[in-house]
This record gives sequence, C-alpha cells and structure tokens, in this order.
Amino acid sequence: MLQKTIPQTQEKFDNYGTLNGDNDILHYDDVYAKQRGFRGTLGHGLMYTGYVADLAAKKYGADWHYRGELTVKFVAPVCPGDELEVSIQEDGTAECKSQFGTTLVGSARLTP
Amino acid sequence: MTRPCDVKPREGDLPAALYKDWQIGAKFPELRFTVTPDIVDEYLSVVDGDPANYMVDGRRAAPPNVLAVYMMAVMYRKYPPQQGGIMIGNTFNFYHPLWADEDTVVIGSGQLTDKYEKKNRKYICYSVDFARADGTRLCSVRHTSAFAE
Repeated sequence: MLQKTIPQTQEKFDNYGTLNGDNDILHYDDVYAKQRGFRGTLGHGLMYTGYVADLAAKKYGADWHYRGELTVKFVAPVCPGDELEVSIQEDGTAECKSQFGTTLVGSARLTP
Repeated sequence: MTRPCDVKPREGDLPAALYKDWQIGAKFPELRFTVTPDIVDEYLSVVDGDPANYMVDGRRAAPPNVLAVYMMAVMYRKYPPQQGGIMIGNTFNFYHPLWADEDTVVIGSGQLTDKYEKKNRKYICYSVDFARADGTRLCSVRHTSAFAE
C-alpha cells in the first residue's frame, strides 16, 4: 500500500485556488460555508484528486501516462485542520480519510 | 503560458448558468491554452506532488492530471459558473505524456452528457477531452457536480 498524510490548511486551499482560478466562496468564506452546514471552508475536490494521482503515478510509473484511469468520488468534505490520509491499495483501491471519516473513495488502475 | 485564471470566468462575474439552462448534448466551445513548465511546477506544489514520480523513459513528464485545473474552464465556455457548486466525482483517463520540460499547446473540448435531480439536489454531468494541437489525445474526464439552483 502507498500512503501519505497531508495536513489541510486554508493556505493550501488558497494556493490551489490561485492556480485553478476557482473563486467559489465555499473554498474561502468560512461564514458562508458554515451557513451551508459545513464545518468550515471546503478543500478543492480536484486537489484531492491530485493527491491520489500522485500516489498512482508512483505505483504505475510510465504506464500511468498512457493507460492510467483514475476514478474518484467525494463523499465528505475536507476542512482546514483535517489530517488527511491518502492511500492506494495494491489492487488500486484509493481512499482519503481524515479524523472525521472517509472523504474520498475511488480507484486507480491501468486500462488494458 | 496560460494560467487557468486567465481563461476561466470567476464565479460571480457573470450571470450564472442555472439548472434549466444546461442542455444535454450541448457542446462546449473549444478552449486553446498553453501548459508551460512553470504551470507544471506550480501544480506539483499545490497537490503535494513528487517530480520523481513522473519520469517517462528518462524524460520528465507533467502529472497528467495537471489538465484538471483547466477542466471547468472548458465547461464555463458554454455555461458561466454558479457559486456554491459541489464536486461529486470524476473519472480521468490518460493517453499520452504531457512533457514537463516544454510548452504544450492543448485544446480542450467537451459536452454536457446528463442532468438530473435527486433528493432535492440538482446534478450535471459533462465530459471534457484534452488533445495536443497536433491531435495527440492526452486526457479525457467524465465529471459530475451538484448545484443549489
């Protein structure tokens, strides 16, 4: 299994948003996010996709660039202060989980 | 260099597309942009990526998912963004390396593939394809988001 833990901060959300050009206030406005019922601002789903994809690239090497298939489903929010554990199992099962539970499920595989 | 923010309308800048506006089958106008080594390095930094994971036959490649930062910009060419959208899921397929040591002109295209309501939430699904200007296919994405309106 490949695994790493990435502490989540508002700075990380801001840096991803600066590159991504994403101005959705759910990622930046703590008051608005809490009004929507979340614990705080939400991390960018595509940022977590990037976390998983990095482990997949390590696992599959050059083949990942020609035959990689990454499926992710976001099942719970990630907020500043979360300790996010990212993992890929031997069979390609992917997961992100924080101290509050699983936040992403999916798979990283090579197509035939 | 094309930063995503250069080609992506900011949420709130334009009247947002609402659920009634999305039409299944609607194609998104092509988006042409250039991925540069600077963009690749910045992307690696924001996704906690390790450049050592992206060597292909001795040459440094970009994370193929670097194109994810342009994905919504393609859709927004047709439907301006709405505040408060929540991403539900994605499937990425990769077909060819995007090299980290050169500028790459990429053309993004796509279409809305589905929309539906479930448990008082409104969902849209769309697909985006990315290819080099010479036609080499790089990446495709199937995407689902939920919106309030």
